[in-house]
Amino acid sequence: MATASEFGPDSGGRVKGLTIVKPIVYGNVARYFGKKREEDGHTHQWTVYVKPYNNEDMSTYVKKVHFKLHESYNNPNRIVTKPPYELTETGWGEFEIVIKIYFHDPNERPVTIYHILKLFQSTPEIQLGKKSLVSEFYEEIVFQDPTALMQHLLSSSRPMTLGVWRHDNDFEAKKQSTLQEIVEAKNKIRGEVTELKEKLTLAKETIAKFKEEISKISKTNGGLSIS
Amino acid sequence: MADVRDILDIEVPAVPEVTKEAIFGVDKKNKKRYEYKVPKRPEGMHREVYALLYKDNNDVPPLFPTDTGKGYKQTKAKLGMRKVRPWKWTPFTNPARTDGAVFHHWRRVADAGKEYPFAKFNKKVPIPSYTDGEYVQHLVTSGWTRSETDHLFDLCRRFDLRFIIIKDRWDRNKFPDRSVEDLKERYYQVCGALTRAKSHNDKVYTFDAEHEKRRKEQLKKLFERTPEQVEEEQTLLSELRKIEQRKKERDRKTQDLQKLITAADHQVDPRKTERKSTKKNNNSNRNRPTKIDSAHVVESAGIKFPDFKNSSVSLRSQRIKLPSSLGQKKMKSIEQMLTELHLELNPPPTEQICQQFNELRSDIVLHYELKGALATCDYELQSLRHQYEALAPGKTLTIPPSLLPKVEPEVKADIIDVVGSPSMPNVTQ
Repeated sequence: MATASEFGPDSGGRVKGLTIVKPIVYGNVARYFGKKREEDGHTHQWTVYVKPYNNEDMSTYVKKVHFKLHESYNNPNRIVTKPPYELTETGWGEFEIVIKIYFHDPNERPVTIYHILKLFQSTPEIQLGKKSLVSEFYEEIVFQDPTALMQHLLSSSRPMTLGVWRHDNDFEAKKQSTLQEIVEAKNKIRGEVTELKEKLTLAKETIAKFKEEISKISKTNGGLSIS
Repeated sequence: MADVRDILDIEVPAVPEVTKEAIFGVDKKNKKRYEYKVPKRPEGMHREVYALLYKDNNDVPPLFPTDTGKGYKQTKAKLGMRKVRPWKWTPFTNPARTDGAVFHHWRRVADAGKEYPFAKFNKKVPIPSYTDGEYVQHLVTSGWTRSETDHLFDLCRRFDLRFIIIKDRWDRNKFPDRSVEDLKERYYQVCGALTRAKSHNDKVYTFDAEHEKRRKEQLKKLFERTPEQVEEEQTLLSELRKIEQRKKERDRKTQDLQKLITAADHQVDPRKTERKSTKKNNNSNRNRPTKIDSAHVVESAGIKFPDFKNSSVSLRSQRIKLPSSLGQKKMKSIEQMLTELHLELNPPPTEQICQQFNELRSDIVLHYELKGALATCDYELQSLRHQYEALAPGKTLTIPPSLLPKVEPEVKADIIDVVGSPSMPNVTQ
C-alpha cells in the first residue's frame, strides 16, 4: 500500500479533471428477538454497515468509519478501522445513525451519511423474527479532482473475496427500472407541459381579443373606462 | 573654589574646608526664603484665587500681559472717539412735490444745502404723448375715440400706469366701461404705434389681452372651487394613479407569462436529443470509476440545482437535494407529483438517475407554474366576459363566434380538469 511519503509533501496537489466514483451500499439489518428482553427491554439485534457495492477492499482508501449512535448508548461514537465496516448492537428503538467515512489522505474531507435505523416492518415473517429485516441504500462517493495520493489509493484496491460479491437487494435491476420510470415520467410531464403551454398561449390570445372587444364596446358606449 | 583647584591641579583635601558658608549655609538659605516678600492675602479674597496668583515657588505674577497677540479676542470697538457732529432742525422742500410745500426735519449741519435724499426715489414713468397729426395718422381705431384715448393717457400719467386705479377712476359717465385688459391693450397699442412711427429699431411691447383675460379667468375658477370640487379632483387623481398602477401590473404579468411560455419551449424541445444521448451512455459507464461532466447539471427554468465543481469528495445523493431557495410550496407540489407518478423521493443516485431526476423535477415545477398561470388566465377571461356583459347587456354573443364556442369552453374545461385532478389539489393561486 502506498503511503503519504511516497508522494512527497505536496501530495495534496489534485489531479484536475479526473473524477473517480466509488459506489457503496449502506444500511442495516435487524432481527426481532421474538420477545422483549427482560434485563434491558431490548427487542432487536441490528447491524449497521457500509460496504462496497463492487467486490473490492475499501480499506485501501478508507481510513476509518465512524458510526454515531443515539446518545442513550454507552459510548455512542463507535469507530471501525477495518472491513467489514459494520457494528452490531441491540436496542428497542429506531434513530438516525450518522455514518462518517474518513479517507487515508487527510486532504480529502470525510463524507457523512445519515441513515435511519430500521427495526420494524409489517411483513409477518420479519415480525416473528424468522427473517431479518434489511434496510439498505445505494450511494456513490464521488471523488472530484482527487489528490494524487488518493487517486493512487482508489485505483489500487483489490477484490474482497474470490467468491461472488452479492447484496440483499438487486440494485442493478432497481437502477435500471428507476431510470426508466423517471425518464417515462419526465416525458409524460413534458407532454403535459407542452399541452399547458399551448393552452396558455391560446388563453393569452383570447384575453387580448376580449380586451379589444371590450374597449370597442366601451368606446361606442360613450367612453366608459375599463380599469 | 573647587574649580580653581581643579584647574590648578591642587589636590582636594580629604576633609572639606571649614568655611563660614559651610557653617552658616543652611541658615543663609533659610534666610533667603524668608527674605522673599510674600504679599499678604488681601482681605476678602478667596483662598483659591489667591493660590492661583501666588504658588509655592513664589513667582510674582507678570505685571504686563504677555499675550499681546490678538488671539481669540476681538479688539473692542472704539466708541466715542470722534467729535460729535451737530444736527440742526432745518426746513426743506421735496422736489417730487409740485406745490413747493416746506417741511422741517433734523439734519446734519454738514449736509446743509444738499437735495432732499429721498427725492431720487420719485420715479416718473415716461408716458408718450402724441400730436393731432400723429393721432390721425397712426392711432385711429374703431371702438376708441380721440377723447377717450386722451382720457386714458391723462389717467396713465396721473396714476403712473397703475391700471387698476385707472380703471377705478375711469369716467364712466362720458365713456363706456372698460376692463383693465381693454385699457392696457389700448395703451400698449398706442405706445407701439408711436414707437414704430418714430424708429424701426426700438423695442415694441405687445400686450396680449386675450391671453391675459383667459389667465385671469382660470385663476378665478381655481380660486372659486368649492371644497367638494377640490376633493373630487383629488379622488380622481388617485383613481388615475391606481389605474396606471394596475396597468403596469398587468403588463408585468403578461411578460411573466411570456417568459413561462418561452421556458416551456426551451424545456420541451431538447427532449429527444437528450434521451438518445443518455441511452447511449447507459451501459458504458456503470460500476466503474467514471468521469462525470458537471456541465450536465440541469439548467432549466424550473429548478436551479447547484453545480458540483469543487474538487472534493461528495456523495452523489447530494446532487438531487432540492435547493432550499425553492420554497415550501413548490417542494410540496414536487413531492405530490412524484407520489402520483409512483416514483421514489430518493432514487438510487447514479449519475444518470440524478440527472434525469433533476430534470424531471425541474419540469414538474414548470408544470406547476404553468398550471397556476393558466388558472389566472382563466380567471381573467371570466372577469373580462362579465365586464363585457355588464357593458353591453344581453350582448355576450357579440364576441366573434369563432372565438366563443371554440376557445372559451376549451379553456374552461381545462381549468375544471386542473382543479379537479387529484394530482394537484393545491392549485391555489
